[in-house]
Amino acid sequence: MNRYLLLICLALISVVLSGCWDSNELNDLAVSVGMGLDKKGNKVQVSTQIVNPSEVATKRGGGYSAPVTTFTATERTTLEALRKITSVSPRKVFSSHLRILVIGEALARNGVAEVMDSISRNHELRSDFYIIVPKGTTAKSVLSILNPIEKIPSNKMFSSLEVSEGTWAPAAKVELFEFMADLSDPSKENILTGIRIAGDASAGNKLSNVEQIVPSAILQYSGIAVFKGDRLVDWLNQDESKGYNYIVGNVKNSIGHIRCPDGNGVLTVDVTRTISKIKGILSNGKPKIKINLFIEENVAGVQCQIDLTKPETIREIEDLSNQKLTTMMESAIRKAQRNKADIFGFGQAIENAHPRQWQKLKNDWPDRFSDLDVDINVDTRIRRLGTTSNSAIESWE
Amino acid sequence: MGMEKRAEQPELLGSDLQSNMDKVKAAFGNSSDIVTERISIAPGSHLEIGYIYTEGLVSSALVQNMMLESCESLRRWIDVFTEADEPNKLDLIRGILAPAGKMKDIIDFQSLYTSVMTGVTVLLIDGFSTGLAVCTQGGEDRSVEEPETQSVVRGPRVGFTENLNTNIALIRRRIKSTDLWLESMEIGKVTKTKVALMYVNSIASDKIVEEVRLRLSRIDIDGILESSYIEELIQDETFTVFPTLYNSERPDVVVSGLLEGRVAIFVDGTPFVLLAPALFVQFYQSAEDYYQRFEFATLIRLLRYICFFISLLAPSLYIAITTFHQELLPSQLLLSLAAQREGIPFPAFIEAVVMELTFEILREAGVRLPKTVGQAVSIVGALVIGQAAVEAGLVSPAMVIVVAVTAISNFVIPSFNMGISIRIIRFIMMLFAATFGLFGITVGLIAMVQHLCSLRSFGVPYMSPMAPLNMPDQKDTILRLPLWGLFSRPRFIGDKNKTREANPPTTKPNKK
Repeated sequence: MNRYLLLICLALISVVLSGCWDSNELNDLAVSVGMGLDKKGNKVQVSTQIVNPSEVATKRGGGYSAPVTTFTATERTTLEALRKITSVSPRKVFSSHLRILVIGEALARNGVAEVMDSISRNHELRSDFYIIVPKGTTAKSVLSILNPIEKIPSNKMFSSLEVSEGTWAPAAKVELFEFMADLSDPSKENILTGIRIAGDASAGNKLSNVEQIVPSAILQYSGIAVFKGDRLVDWLNQDESKGYNYIVGNVKNSIGHIRCPDGNGVLTVDVTRTISKIKGILSNGKPKIKINLFIEENVAGVQCQIDLTKPETIREIEDLSNQKLTTMMESAIRKAQRNKADIFGFGQAIENAHPRQWQKLKNDWPDRFSDLDVDINVDTRIRRLGTTSNSAIESWE
Repeated sequence: MGMEKRAEQPELLGSDLQSNMDKVKAAFGNSSDIVTERISIAPGSHLEIGYIYTEGLVSSALVQNMMLESCESLRRWIDVFTEADEPNKLDLIRGILAPAGKMKDIIDFQSLYTSVMTGVTVLLIDGFSTGLAVCTQGGEDRSVEEPETQSVVRGPRVGFTENLNTNIALIRRRIKSTDLWLESMEIGKVTKTKVALMYVNSIASDKIVEEVRLRLSRIDIDGILESSYIEELIQDETFTVFPTLYNSERPDVVVSGLLEGRVAIFVDGTPFVLLAPALFVQFYQSAEDYYQRFEFATLIRLLRYICFFISLLAPSLYIAITTFHQELLPSQLLLSLAAQREGIPFPAFIEAVVMELTFEILREAGVRLPKTVGQAVSIVGALVIGQAAVEAGLVSPAMVIVVAVTAISNFVIPSFNMGISIRIIRFIMMLFAATFGLFGITVGLIAMVQHLCSLRSFGVPYMSPMAPLNMPDQKDTILRLPLWGLFSRPRFIGDKNKTREANPPTTKPNKK
């Protein structure tokens, strides 16, 4: 019996003495959904977007205060700055629910290795957030734009990146692990999607921004940032970004146009499925890349005078689409080659195919990459014509 | 044994009617419900008969009839009677009374008292030191009704009553086999409650029957008022929240238990019959599982096990996740929970304990209060828990949902006593969750499973057939296979006679 008594006492002591260590009530947490890193001299400016839960989740009214608040602090290192935020924030900053990490362009051009180390070491962060780079503005101002419909701007950035990567293509979602892996991998360079503020940035942080039908300022994804090592070196424009995504096989669904066979007007095609294969080849010791892109499209809009009922026309459209895609992909490759940044992972393809030879190649890979032979082979298949066959335009003639 | 001790020196009846009657009266302290009547058969003759019975325990119609018959007949045969010699006189009376029913000779006072207390009428004839006990049992008794607990949608609507004989008959009616054996005994020094042990001899394991018999014989108590007394006195482990004996109000459940090799213990005065040994999974099975189609029964069983976990863990998971592991929640859910908790003055643990306590109080009050007031309580409860507490900002709406789901899940579990075990453990789990988070819950669950595995019911591992794992018995554990699949009796319990049936899987018309 004494043994049991002792056991009960021990259990009680462990309950009482430990005293709910590490517990935090939900209403004692400042839930941070967005984090921004900027360069301020030789210091780091950290901005966190904190959710005001009663404004976001309440059913009764709301709308009296902004759904989020952005706090900023500047310190020598990221974590110091993050802790310093507690001097302005009323609650403990809780970063596990981070949706988006914004790395300021200036900081990115200067090198992100230092800040990313402390971010990746932080145990509190879940690794399912995306990393983006603001184009022509700071991370702080990106985190200071209110957004309509989706009340939390960071959530908006998160979900519109997800949606637009899958259905529009000139955007790429990059998670922390991928970014860190590519950072230390000489055979592949990093990319991050760019974001810009469209409209009047200074009007974006007021509640009035979301009270209008057309917001004064809105966040928009545009282009892809090319990294070399840990530094941002260049931007891909919309077509190049699309080309990039086609090469690496990110496109699930997209829409594009090709010029009509007769040169007048355009033809809209809806991409429904793509399969991209990158193959590394060594011919006479010289590395070479072969890209095979298989793509299925639907005709989505016709502004030309063609007879879609004829199989030859379809062949013709397929050829045009092949050409268009090849051009897009080539332009992306050219830009990357100009910057000697192998963002496509061509190095990886060669390493996979010829691991032994790669050991010799990898030392001067950036230079070899810049004049690498890339053979692009696109195979387009038009599958459907939509619910009508020939365009109404043709019947007028 | 106690009964034998008392039987050592039986005080025999005297031959004088008056002194015998006085003795009986004195023994009962002149209790007014003990009726002692003297009737003189015919004027002139010395034949006097005394009737002793307890009012209320006898059927007055039977007693009246019996008295009338005996007097009439004796009067008619008085001549024969007076001429007959001593032993034949008694036989004559026996013959006369034969139509009244079962009869027994009484020679000592102790058996006279016992007979009188069980509703038997005792006839004492002046000048004879042997009395006659005539079966006249009757009196007020509840009729066989639909059981209030363990109700089913499809299945027999018969429940046990408080009368032992009725209950036993209900089983006899369902098992028409000479193998259905019954052993009766009296337990309780004062109450002398009739307890009956029933089993199917060809199925029930001899060891288990012997063990039950032994444990019953060890009981030394003044009274048995309900089968729960027996349950507590013969269970394997006292310090456990889990029931190790099964009880049922339904004859069909008891019959199915007997057919699996279990032993049924009937106690006079209660409709709840015990079944031993009892396994953990048994408490999650309902009679209806076998009356509905097997797919549905399996689905419902799965639902019950899910409800077991919800009822056990819902509040503690809420506490653990919202105070320790916020990163586990989807962001949107976190925000809406956080918004609900804005302005709540208590930590989640206190909030949960307060709400659970409130619910338990209301539930207990609902059981105790008269039915007419019960409705008022439920209105107050719904308003207090559902509306006012949330409106006042004392608890968050999410907590109310958690408590409500927990409560409803608890009612899904078919047996009430298993539901109570879960209610108790729930609070312990909440404490663990508030101190150590999910880690604490895991530790608590491990401790619970360990405890469950250490339990035994009459030597049978409580968690079987899951621990120790027994594949054939899985057919009727979480799953309920079609009836042709339930071919054997559970291991440990029905080992003596394993085969239950040999049905082909399907019966289809022959192809021509």
